[in-house]
Amino acid sequence: MSDDRTTADEAETGPDADPVTSTETEARDRSTDPEPDRATAGGLAIREPPVVLLPLAVLDGETVSESLVEFLAPTKEVLLAYHELPEQTPTEQASLQFEERAREAIEDLADAFRDAGSDPETRVVFTHGRQQTIDRVAGEVGATAVLLPNPTGDIDEVLVPIREPIDDDRLADLVTTLIEGENDRVTLWGLTAEGDDFDPARAVERAAEELRERGVDSATVTTETSVTATPVRDIVERSADADVIVMREGTGSVVSVLLGDDAERIATGAVAPVLVLRDRTPSEAEPDDPSADADASGAAHGSGE
Amino acid sequence: MTASGEETVASGENRAGETPQTAIVSTPEGTDEPSVTETGTELERTIGLTGGIAIGVGTMIGAGIFVFPGIAAGRAGPAAAVSFGLGAIIALLVALPASELATAMPKSGGGYYFISRALGALPGAIVGISIWLGLVFATAFYLVGFGNYAAAVLAEAGVDVAGVPVVVPLALLFGVFLTALNLFGTENAAALQNYVVGLLLTILVIFLGYGGLDALGVFGRASTPETFAPFGATPVFTTAALVFTSYLGFAQVATVAGDIKRPGRNLPLAMIASVVLVGVLYVATIFVATSAFGSAALASFGETAIVEVARNFGGRAGAIAILIAGLLATVSSANASILSTSRAVFAVSKDALVPGIAGRVNLRYGTPHVALSMAGGPVLVLVALGEVEVLAEVASFLHLVMYSLMCVALFAMRRDEPEWYDPAFRVPAYPLVAGLGAVSSAGLILFMQPTSQIIGIAIMLASAGWYKYYADDVQLKGVL
Repeated sequence: MSDDRTTADEAETGPDADPVTSTETEARDRSTDPEPDRATAGGLAIREPPVVLLPLAVLDGETVSESLVEFLAPTKEVLLAYHELPEQTPTEQASLQFEERAREAIEDLADAFRDAGSDPETRVVFTHGRQQTIDRVAGEVGATAVLLPNPTGDIDEVLVPIREPIDDDRLADLVTTLIEGENDRVTLWGLTAEGDDFDPARAVERAAEELRERGVDSATVTTETSVTATPVRDIVERSADADVIVMREGTGSVVSVLLGDDAERIATGAVAPVLVLRDRTPSEAEPDDPSADADASGAAHGSGE
Repeated sequence: MTASGEETVASGENRAGETPQTAIVSTPEGTDEPSVTETGTELERTIGLTGGIAIGVGTMIGAGIFVFPGIAAGRAGPAAAVSFGLGAIIALLVALPASELATAMPKSGGGYYFISRALGALPGAIVGISIWLGLVFATAFYLVGFGNYAAAVLAEAGVDVAGVPVVVPLALLFGVFLTALNLFGTENAAALQNYVVGLLLTILVIFLGYGGLDALGVFGRASTPETFAPFGATPVFTTAALVFTSYLGFAQVATVAGDIKRPGRNLPLAMIASVVLVGVLYVATIFVATSAFGSAALASFGETAIVEVARNFGGRAGAIAILIAGLLATVSSANASILSTSRAVFAVSKDALVPGIAGRVNLRYGTPHVALSMAGGPVLVLVALGEVEVLAEVASFLHLVMYSLMCVALFAMRRDEPEWYDPAFRVPAYPLVAGLGAVSSAGLILFMQPTSQIIGIAIMLASAGWYKYYADDVQLKGVL
């Protein structure tokens, strides 16, 4: 594993990269526009106010720490109290008995967010399939990221492992909204395996550039790259130094089917909470056809503008 | 407390002072949207079409192919195929009205729910409580079937049991195991069920395909010539009454209606598809089995006759494949029945027809421990009796009463359609279909053994007595 650290202002901005996905092309094109729809938070540019989904097994006592409430408060939160049941239990049967408790628990947490100046939405779901529920609700609320909670103390260090092309625009919206404090620092960390097509250096540079464009102080952004055969293990090990991890949801590789999603595996092993950046689902994605753009962005940006 | 003019509010209280609970207030039919309760809580729908068919087929297939062929052939000769065909037709006549009612009321509880809402609390209570016991009888029957297969596996493996009867002890052991698994198991086995059913269907299609070709003389062996109905017409009907247990599973799909995605489409499809699928397999199995051996020989093989048929075609390997399939099929049927039993208990406890404690869920394991115990406990008693034919017939009796009343419920709904009644699926020519369904379901009961009829009637009377004693005041008709 070789490290190659540079700070963002030293990093060269490479020639405009090949578009990887149509979404990304769109994002890049728009970033050169005059940005009529730009909102600002603390003087930083937010294109699409991020929505963070917090799925919590409240009946099993799962909650988020006070520091995480503070950290997430600038975003729009959707607090999802879910209870996963074995198939022998009808969801209706469990809801008759536990609905009230679940609702109380999630409202307590919502109050904590309200005290921190936010206005969260709350949902209570009884389900036989946790993943299905999270995916459905994330789609319905147009979530930018989904939180996989882990205990954490004060949040200063944000670690962004980048292992595949990432939606810089979404990442920037989320990170720019979250890093408010003076001590907050962001590390963009590109990882790749030997012989992989993915160019981590270019990816982190592009992400850093996007953050700079949004007005994030270059001094707070660090970029680095590693070549490794065991990215998941490396990220888990590194998590001890980070206070929160932001990463893209894993694509459906064979390994992820067998062992679970990478982000889930990292959240299980890591010390820090993980914010999983969601890809836009086809219904949320801004289509290539510009004539349909107005409708689509209205749907995708639902909660914001 | 008396029923108010408000028809959509459940009312009345039982002897313990409990009132019926309504949880779900909205149930979308055509989408994957969850059901929503009064306070806005969402109940995720997680079972797709495949899962629904797997529940139906998984519940049914254990009996018709792996337990009944020998017994049925012994009673009716090759005409047992007609008995199975009759069963399939009756099941279809009921599955259509059940589909309409289920898409109009896609809630957990199935037949009990439709009948109590359409015909009132007394018929509802009789059906609700007797279907709990009907499922207990069915589960016991499947477990005894499993015991037979487990014993045959031991025999195949050369284990000497020294003449000790092992069928019932093995069935009891597995009954305890399955109940415990459901009480404490938190792993979702739904996907596993799909694979088991898929594997079963694969083994059966290979077996029946080969056997069918053989029976038609393709491989040049003479099949056993035999009179089609050596014992006349009546045994065809009594056999149909006996083997109807092989079709009890389709209505179980309706008991998970609350969990099925796009219920307006998937419920009717899953119910009808599973009946047609198992019906074809049953008829083919009898055809193949009676072609391979004479009915008398087949009858002498008893519950595991189909293993000998497979041995005849495929030697030891064929026998072992069918033995494994038989174990899987009877386990899957027994397990599905235990789950249905637990749901049936919940449905009546939610409506305050039995004490509410029966519907309690254990937070640690997330399982309905009381309802599951009310399934597993009585099952063990019945397994100990070990009477396959009586177990099967009583189970069928109690289900057939429910099926007949479901058809009547359809008439009640259609004749005076309430405003909320908006099924996504409507039975074509409903007076004919539901009328035939009601009459043929009730008619089949007449061909059962007197013992089974007496036990069935006693259970229904006891259920009615319980309602009068415990929950006379509870009103359910028209309540959604």
